[in-house]
Amino acid sequence: MPVPTSERLLAYVILIAMAALVLAPVLAGSITAFKPQIIWVSSPPTWIFEPTLENFEFVFFTRKGWQYLRNSLIISFGSVAMALMLGVPAAYAFARFRFRGSKALMQWLISLRMIPPIVVGLPFYAMFLYLERGLGIGLRDTFPGLIITYQTFLLPLVIWMMRGYFAELPAAMEESAMVEGYTRMGALLRVVLPVVWPGIVATAILNFIFAWNEFFLALILAGNRTSTLPMTAGTYIVRTRVEWGNLFAVNLLIMAPVIVLTVILRRQLVKGLTFGILE
Amino acid sequence: MARPPNTQPMSKSYLPGNTNQPFSTRLYQLTQRHRHWFFIAPALIVLLTVVIYPILFSTGVSLFRVTFASQSRPFVGLQNFERMLGNDDFIQSALNTLYYVIFSVSGSFVLGFAIALLIRRVTAGKELLRLILIIPITMAPIVVGLMWNWMLDPLFGLVNWFLGLFGIPGQTMLAQASTARLTVVLVDIWQWYPLVFLIIEAGMATLPRAPFESARLEGVSSWMIFRRLTLPMLRPVILVALLLRTVDAFRTFDIVRVMTDGGPALTTETLSLYLYRTAFTFNKLSRAAAGSILMLLVIGLISALMFRYLYRDVEVG
Amino acid sequence: MKVVLKDLLKRFANAERAAVNKINLVIEKGELAVLLGPSGCGKTTTLRMIAGLEQPDSGRITIAERDITDLAPKDRRLAMVFQNFSMYPTMNVYENIAFPLHAIKMKRKEIDRTVREVARLVNIDHLLERSLRQVSGGEAQRVALARAMVRRPEVFLMDEPLSNLDAKLRVQLRTEIKRLHQDTGATFIFVTHDQEEAMTLGDKIIVMNNGDIQQVGTPHEVFFGPRNAFVANFVGTPSMNMLSGRIVADEGGYRLRLPGFELSLPARFADGLGKMKSDGVIWGIRPEAIKLVSAPGENTVSGQVELVEALGSRDLIFARAAEQLFGVIVDAQESVPVGAPCHLHFAGEQMHLFDAASERSLLNDKPPQSPHRDGGRLCKDGDIHRIATNSPP
Repeated sequence: MPVPTSERLLAYVILIAMAALVLAPVLAGSITAFKPQIIWVSSPPTWIFEPTLENFEFVFFTRKGWQYLRNSLIISFGSVAMALMLGVPAAYAFARFRFRGSKALMQWLISLRMIPPIVVGLPFYAMFLYLERGLGIGLRDTFPGLIITYQTFLLPLVIWMMRGYFAELPAAMEESAMVEGYTRMGALLRVVLPVVWPGIVATAILNFIFAWNEFFLALILAGNRTSTLPMTAGTYIVRTRVEWGNLFAVNLLIMAPVIVLTVILRRQLVKGLTFGILE
Repeated sequence: MARPPNTQPMSKSYLPGNTNQPFSTRLYQLTQRHRHWFFIAPALIVLLTVVIYPILFSTGVSLFRVTFASQSRPFVGLQNFERMLGNDDFIQSALNTLYYVIFSVSGSFVLGFAIALLIRRVTAGKELLRLILIIPITMAPIVVGLMWNWMLDPLFGLVNWFLGLFGIPGQTMLAQASTARLTVVLVDIWQWYPLVFLIIEAGMATLPRAPFESARLEGVSSWMIFRRLTLPMLRPVILVALLLRTVDAFRTFDIVRVMTDGGPALTTETLSLYLYRTAFTFNKLSRAAAGSILMLLVIGLISALMFRYLYRDVEVG
Repeated sequence: MKVVLKDLLKRFANAERAAVNKINLVIEKGELAVLLGPSGCGKTTTLRMIAGLEQPDSGRITIAERDITDLAPKDRRLAMVFQNFSMYPTMNVYENIAFPLHAIKMKRKEIDRTVREVARLVNIDHLLERSLRQVSGGEAQRVALARAMVRRPEVFLMDEPLSNLDAKLRVQLRTEIKRLHQDTGATFIFVTHDQEEAMTLGDKIIVMNNGDIQQVGTPHEVFFGPRNAFVANFVGTPSMNMLSGRIVADEGGYRLRLPGFELSLPARFADGLGKMKSDGVIWGIRPEAIKLVSAPGENTVSGQVELVEALGSRDLIFARAAEQLFGVIVDAQESVPVGAPCHLHFAGEQMHLFDAASERSLLNDKPPQSPHRDGGRLCKDGDIHRIATNSPP
C-alpha cells in the first residue's frame, strides 16, 4: 500500500530522533573510553582530543581485565555448549514425537521463563554452601558451578528455539533416510543436522549473548576466581570517584562483541527473545 | 443428494486371527514407545536439578530459621512469611516493583508499538534504522545502568549539559526521591522497548494482507483499520509482548543496582534487590527465601492469568 | 513380495478412536494396490506402519512370509516416496540418489553406475549435477522415485506422491509410476485420497474409512459393486445420487418409496430385501446411469434442468425433480438447456440399495473375490467406465 509522503516524512523524523536517543549515549560513552584521564569529566564535554588506549591498558593489565574477559568467555562458551548438548536432542524429540504429556512439558518449559532469577539464585548459594561444608564439593566460585547454574535460563531457551527449527523441517526428510537404510540417529546426523545447522548457530549466538550479559547469578555465585566482565564493571564506581574512562573501556569490551553478533543475527533475534511463544 | 453415510465396520478378518504377541514385539514396542525419553531425559534431569530442586530447597529453607553464620536451624513454620508480609521495607519494595511493572511495561509497550508502526512507513535505510533501534536490548542491563549514570551525572553528565543549553539548571534526578524512581523507569523503557518493537513487527509481518487491502478498497479509515483489524488480529502477539515485559519488569535488579542501589530512602528498591540485601547483607536467608517464594507465587499467578488469556486464541507449542 | 497385514491396530495418544482398527489385508506379489480414503481414514498410518515409521499397538506385518513387525525401517527392504518432497537440501540430485547406497556400504564405482542407470529410468540423467533449488516440483518427485528405486526394493510404498503436483504433471507421473510398476514387477502400495488416481493406477483398490477397510476389489468392483453406502458415495466423480427411502411390499415384488416419487425394484434385490429387519433403505444411482427420456413412464420422474456443467464430450446436468436435485451425465450433443423440462429414467439394473441401518449393500454383502465379478455383470456399457475414470477433476 502506498504511504503518503507527509506520513513517511513524519515517520522518518520520529525514528531518526529515536535512533539519536539510542546512539547518543552509546557513542558518547564509547568515546569516553578513548579519552585521556584529565578530560574524563570535563564540562562541557570535550569532543576533540587525541584518542588514547591507556584506559584499555589500565583495565586490561593493571586491573586484570584479561582475566575477567577469559572468565566471561569460559563461562559463556561452556554454558552454551552444555545447553546445546542437552537441549538439541530434547528439542528434536519435542518437535517430532507426540507422547503423553508432551504438550504439558513444553508449557512447563515456557513457564520457566517466568521465574525471577532471585528465586533460583538464593537457594543456589545456600546449596553450594552446604555442598561445600557437608560433602566438600566446592562449586561456589568455580566455572562448573556457574555453567550449571546458567542452565536455568539457557536450557529452556535452547529447547524452545531449536524445537522451532526442527519443526520447520518435514519429517519425511529423516523418515526417508530411515526407510533407505539408516537408523534414526544416522538420519539425524547425516540428514537433519546439516540442514538445521544455521538454526543451531543462531541459537548458540543468542544464548551466548544472554550468558555474556548475565549479571545477577554471577554476582551471587562467582568470586575472585570466576568474576565476569559485567561484574567488574560495577567495581569502577566508588562512592567518591568514578573512573569513567576505565568504566567505559570495560563497557565497550562487554558491548562490542554483542553488537557484532546482533548484526549477524538480527533476523533470528525475535525467535529467541520471544522464547518461541510466538509461532 | 448425496448424504454422508455413517458406515459400520465390515467383517474384519480374512485370516485366522492370532492376537498373542511374542515377547520381542513387546520389548521393541516398549523402546519405540518411549524413545522420546532418550532424547529428553538428560535435559529434563538437569532442569529438575537447577530449577525445581532449588525452588523446593528454598521453600524448605523458608520454613526454618537459617542463617549463614549459625549452625542451628529451628523450625519456625510460616513465621518467616509473616515477618516478610509485616515488614514495611518488603511492602515498600513490592509497591516499587508494582510501579516499575506498570510504568515500564506500559511505557515500553507504547514506544515499541509506535516504532513498529512507524518503521513500516519507511523505505530507504529501514535496515539500518532497525539495527540501531534494537541496540539497547542487546546491551547488558548493567552496562545500560552505568552508561545512564554517567549521562545523568549532575556535574558533567550529557543530559544536564544538554538541558543547560536551553537554560535549564542542573538536576540531580537520581539523588532526589521525587525523580529517582521515574528516571530509573525511563532508563528501563529505553532498554526494553526494542523487545516490544521486535515482537510486534514480527507479528505484523505474519498478518494476511487481504483483509487490509479490502478494507482500504472499501474506504475504511486508517484509524478504524487499526482499531478493528490490526489490534484484534495482533491480540496474541500483544499478549506475548506484555507477558514477557511484565515478567522482566517484575525481576528488575541490574539497572537499579548500579544506578541507585535502591535509594534514595528505598524509593527505587525492587523486590529482587531487597531480597538480595536481606539474604546477603543482613544474612537473613530464611526470610529472603520466604520473600522469594511469595514473589514466585505472585508472578506465577500473573503469568498464569495472562497465559490463559493467551491460550484462548493461540495454540502455544 | 506378498504383503500381509494381520489384525493391525494403531491408536494414537489422546485419540478417541483407533487410527487403524485391526485391519486384515493381503497384497499379492507384483500387485499395485491403492489405499483409498478421505483424510484421517487411516490409510497413511497403515502405510507408515508397513514402513516401520509407526509402531502398531498390535497385529503383525509380513512381507514374503518374513515377519517385519519388529524390524527397524532400515531393515525392511522396502522403499518409500513421500508426499512432500523429502529431498535432502544439502545434497545435489546425484548425492540424493546415491545416499541410500552409502547406507549399504556399496563401492563408489558401483554407486556411480547404479545412480546413472536409475536416473535414466526416470528421465533425470541430465539433472544429476543440479542442486535441488534448480529442479522443479515434478523433477524433484522423479528424484524421489529414483532414490526409492536405487536399492532395488521389492516393495514400494507411496504416500500421496502426486498430491503436491499440478494437474498435468500428476497425470504424466501417474503414467510413469504405472510403467515403473510394470517394468520392475515389484509390489506397489500407493496411498491416495483421489479416487480417479486410484481407479487409473490400481490393480486392487482398498477403500478405507475411520480406520476400517470398507471394501477391497478391482477398480470395477468398487465402482460398480460398492459394498456399502460409504464406498458408493466416495468412489466416482461426480458422486452417486443418493436418497433415503422406504420399502413397500407389492404383489410379487417390492416398490421403493422415495420423497416425492416411487420406483419399482428389480427382482435381483429380492434376496437382500427379504433379509432386512426394517424398511429403511438408501437408494443410489450414478449420474451416468440416469437417462433422459422423451416421455414419462415407469421409473421415470419429470423435472427441470437447473444447471449445466460442460465436461468436454459430456455434460453434467443438474435437474430438479420431485424436489430433489439429480446429477445426470449426458452426451454433449444430447444436452438440454437450463430451464428446459426433462424426464429422468432410472434403469433398474443400475440402481444400488443399502440398508439404512447398517449402510451395507443389499446386493454385495460378501467381499468380492474374483476380478470383474460384479463389473462383468453391470458393465454392459464399457463406455460408462471410461467416463467415470477419465472425467476431469
